[in-house]
Amino acid sequence: MQGWLIALIVIGVLLLVVLIWYIATMNNLRQLKVKVKEAESGIDVALTKRFDTLSKMVETVKGYTKHEAKTFENVVKWRQNMPDELTVKQKEEFMEKMNQVQSDINVVVENYPDLKAEKVFTNLQRSIADVEEHLQASRRMFNANVSRLNSRIVTFPVSIVAAKINMQKYPFFEAEPAKTQDVKMEF
Amino acid sequence: MKEGLQEHQAKKKRAERIILLGLPFLGFGILAAVLGTTEALGEWAVTVGVVLIIFAVLVFVLGFALFQRFETNFKHEFLKDYLSGLVEEGEFVPKKGFGKIQGLDPADVYNTEFIERADRFYSYDFFRGKIDGVDFVSSDVKLQRIEYETYRDKDGKIRRRKKYVTYFHGRVFHFDFNKDFDGHVLVLERYKPQTRRKYQKVEFESVDFNKKFRTLATREHTAFYILTPHFMESLMKIEKNHPGNLGFSFIDNKLYFAIHTGKPTFSVRPFRRLDEKLLEKFREDVGLIHNLVDELKLNRKIFKED
Repeated sequence: MQGWLIALIVIGVLLLVVLIWYIATMNNLRQLKVKVKEAESGIDVALTKRFDTLSKMVETVKGYTKHEAKTFENVVKWRQNMPDELTVKQKEEFMEKMNQVQSDINVVVENYPDLKAEKVFTNLQRSIADVEEHLQASRRMFNANVSRLNSRIVTFPVSIVAAKINMQKYPFFEAEPAKTQDVKMEF
Repeated sequence: MKEGLQEHQAKKKRAERIILLGLPFLGFGILAAVLGTTEALGEWAVTVGVVLIIFAVLVFVLGFALFQRFETNFKHEFLKDYLSGLVEEGEFVPKKGFGKIQGLDPADVYNTEFIERADRFYSYDFFRGKIDGVDFVSSDVKLQRIEYETYRDKDGKIRRRKKYVTYFHGRVFHFDFNKDFDGHVLVLERYKPQTRRKYQKVEFESVDFNKKFRTLATREHTAFYILTPHFMESLMKIEKNHPGNLGFSFIDNKLYFAIHTGKPTFSVRPFRRLDEKLLEKFREDVGLIHNLVDELKLNRKIFKED
């Protein structure tokens, strides 16, 4: 076989290998992005669940104190003025606001033993603890996936593919759900 | 308790004495057989040697049979009450395990979804009870698979023979889990999933944990929900004491745990003293269950209605 033909075949094979690698890397990055999106929707579900449980809690404590209802109303108003789809930063803010309401409720509970003894309220406390755990799980899952995607994006030569398909680094979800150990739960 | 232990120690010594009795017969037998090959002593010495060796083997068999009888009696008469007293509602059943206790099937071992089906299944020393309100069930399990090896016979022909190879020998536990969850999660060290269920690999934020364990889940979220940072830390701690031998699965609101130790958990060996030190070792083995309940906070039931 002639030398130029061998060289042509070698170059062809090399180009094919590069092409296959490029497509595989691109698919991998897109799959990682899908995972990040899935994890983010997990946060949305957990936040919504927390919001619902918190609103029920506020309803229950309403008879004891008006202040928490007012704070919660502010959170509702804030959410109504935001677009349907929140950014990660806005979600963090939303969570912080709910943390505030929750810690206020915890203070109220400490001052009203009757409330503490109410079956409905203890059930809600149980639900909120579970929702917190789910939120924590979603947050960690999101951050783990973001971390994997971000480190792939900045690693050479994957960074070339990432730049070509306009893949950018994702922000982490920094806010921590309210710490359950701060909440005195007596069932 | 001390008196009971001393009584069993005396019985154990009797069995050991018989085993030891075989040794001089074996020694003289070998000596006679070897000397019989020299010209000074004739064939009669070889015959005497062989007879002595056979006698020694019979004495050994008798000694070990007596030892086994002692061990069975020790477990029934002493260990049963001793271990049952270490936990709430404790029940220790020597010689019986999965498949021999009502309501417990060998399938309960395979329900872990990471223990391979065996060709030979043994289960013994069943132990159940309650720790801090958490129900647990456990038993020693020994599993063997058939393997074939080829060899050449006297005529030089290649032949195949069957042998049983032990691939798991340790303890399998079931616990009530304190959280309700969807899907299945496996946390494995030396095992592989033994099901066609569609598992996906889960990578956590802890690099060390990912290095030690392979986590597989049908829902990624469930893995993160069950394996909280504290839970992962606790698994790492437990792993430190039993490196390379652990497997956990979280299925249908139950926690399955298997530990391969390569030996029976509650066994007494010949020529080892039966004393407080041995009981301490048994207490440590039961302590592993306490450890699991405490470290993994299985007794913290704030997520589940009783």
